[in-house]
Amino acid sequence: MSLKSLDPRINRMNLPDGELPPMEPKAAFDQFETFEVFARKRDKTPFTYAGPVHAPNADVAFLFAKEQYSRRSACSGLWVVLTRHIMVSPYANDDENIYDSFEVEIPEDTTWPLESYEVFHLKKRGKAHTHVGRIGATSYQEAYHKAKAAFAAEHPAVNMWVVKSKNVLQSAEEDRDMWLTLPEKKYREPAAYKVLDRIKKFKEEEEQKALTK
Amino acid sequence: MYGGGNTFEATKAEDLEQEDAVKLAEFEARIAQGEKIEPDDWMPRLYRMQLIRMIEQHAHSEIIGALPEGTWITRAPGFRRKLALMAKVQDEVGHAQLLYSAAETLGKSREEMLTDLINGKSKYSNVFNYPTYTWADSCIISWLIDAGAIVNQMANSKGSYGPYCRALERICAEEAFHLKYGHDSVVFMATGSPAQRQMVQEALNRWWSQIMTFFGPSDKLSVHTETLMRWKVKMASNDECRQQYLDMYVPKIREIGLTIPDPHLHKNEQTGQWEYTEPDWEEFRKVINGDGPCNAERLGVRRMAEERGAWVRLALKNPTAKYVRPLA
Repeated sequence: MSLKSLDPRINRMNLPDGELPPMEPKAAFDQFETFEVFARKRDKTPFTYAGPVHAPNADVAFLFAKEQYSRRSACSGLWVVLTRHIMVSPYANDDENIYDSFEVEIPEDTTWPLESYEVFHLKKRGKAHTHVGRIGATSYQEAYHKAKAAFAAEHPAVNMWVVKSKNVLQSAEEDRDMWLTLPEKKYREPAAYKVLDRIKKFKEEEEQKALTK
Repeated sequence: MYGGGNTFEATKAEDLEQEDAVKLAEFEARIAQGEKIEPDDWMPRLYRMQLIRMIEQHAHSEIIGALPEGTWITRAPGFRRKLALMAKVQDEVGHAQLLYSAAETLGKSREEMLTDLINGKSKYSNVFNYPTYTWADSCIISWLIDAGAIVNQMANSKGSYGPYCRALERICAEEAFHLKYGHDSVVFMATGSPAQRQMVQEALNRWWSQIMTFFGPSDKLSVHTETLMRWKVKMASNDECRQQYLDMYVPKIREIGLTIPDPHLHKNEQTGQWEYTEPDWEEFRKVINGDGPCNAERLGVRRMAEERGAWVRLALKNPTAKYVRPLA
């Protein structure tokens, strides 16, 4: 016996009917690692944290991220970073600046040349991290110190993330036509549904009917 | 779409006296000040467990809720409705992704959550254990079940947990289209031919009791509920949500000439509260525990997708992967 459904497609799947033995627990990494995604609404706005995606590698993560985070709202660029490539400071209270309380030591055996790092700040708990700038450093620790010197006063933060630029998969300028699909899909906008006009017309007709009775 | 408070009985009472008193006081002070909790913060076990349970259920409801509506994509009347319904169902699956990740920041992996869904260990919104007989059923879900979900989600988006708030902000923005699309498709039928009107009225008759159970039974008042409300995990009681919903939607249903199939439904002008026939909570409990018209089909379809897609995930698996939970 197979499972009976109102949906003919489901009937064609011949799913077993009745009690099944429990499914074996899914194995670790069956859903892959996580990547963190940053998106930019317009060319001039900073990249802002959008959320995570699960993916087997950065290219697939980028495709998922594009679907998940740029499908429904304006977007002019995406960055994707493997979660474990991001160094995270502790969280401060909303009225404090994390740079005032958090200290790290710069390791001695740092190596040249300088590498480029991206710095993200969280202004307030519950909001999203925003890109504040790029700095050159020889370690994450040094990057933290330089970020403090460069950004702490002007952009106070309750939490900061730092990541090597080379670990960020960035959408390319020459591919920018990939962001141009939104205007074709007006049916996903609430404004596409002129429901009030129809209700008004219906009510008027009902009134007319009542009068002529 | 579907953040039903429906199965919101509390997790097993955790003894708060076992928690570190100083940390607990700091945690409560932060919430009292209106600050959000972020994943790295210390939090009581009860807070963590209750949020995992709630966000996970919300995620399962999105992914299972896509099934009764998705079944009508191939048979949607017209190209425009088909495009819109596809976009809506895709949104719902996207919401599940966002919510699984938010729950994951609390320490439960996506693998565990999906296993618990398929093995019936965690629940989803009970309304999706009922079938969609006609196109009109899918329209009623899009409008009136989504509307219920929005009442819930707007309340929860003011909660205390940062990652859940961020996910809900995105979800609520997308839901605006769902609500408008659902309303439009119901109004279209209700103001159409006599056959269309009859079809949508019948769908409303089938779904009304599910709508009334959507927010769950009246909360038992316990110390526990009071704690979860103080921690801004539970933002409104089930009855408050139901009353707010009736305030907003009863007039909208009636203005298009539909009849709500409850002769006792009326607003008591003295108390300002809606009075109604209690839905069949016995049936609700029976169905949520597995014995409903579509429970087996919903989980069967999910399990089939899981099992038949396993080889793809295996082929893509990266042997050098190291797990860390999502950051925020």
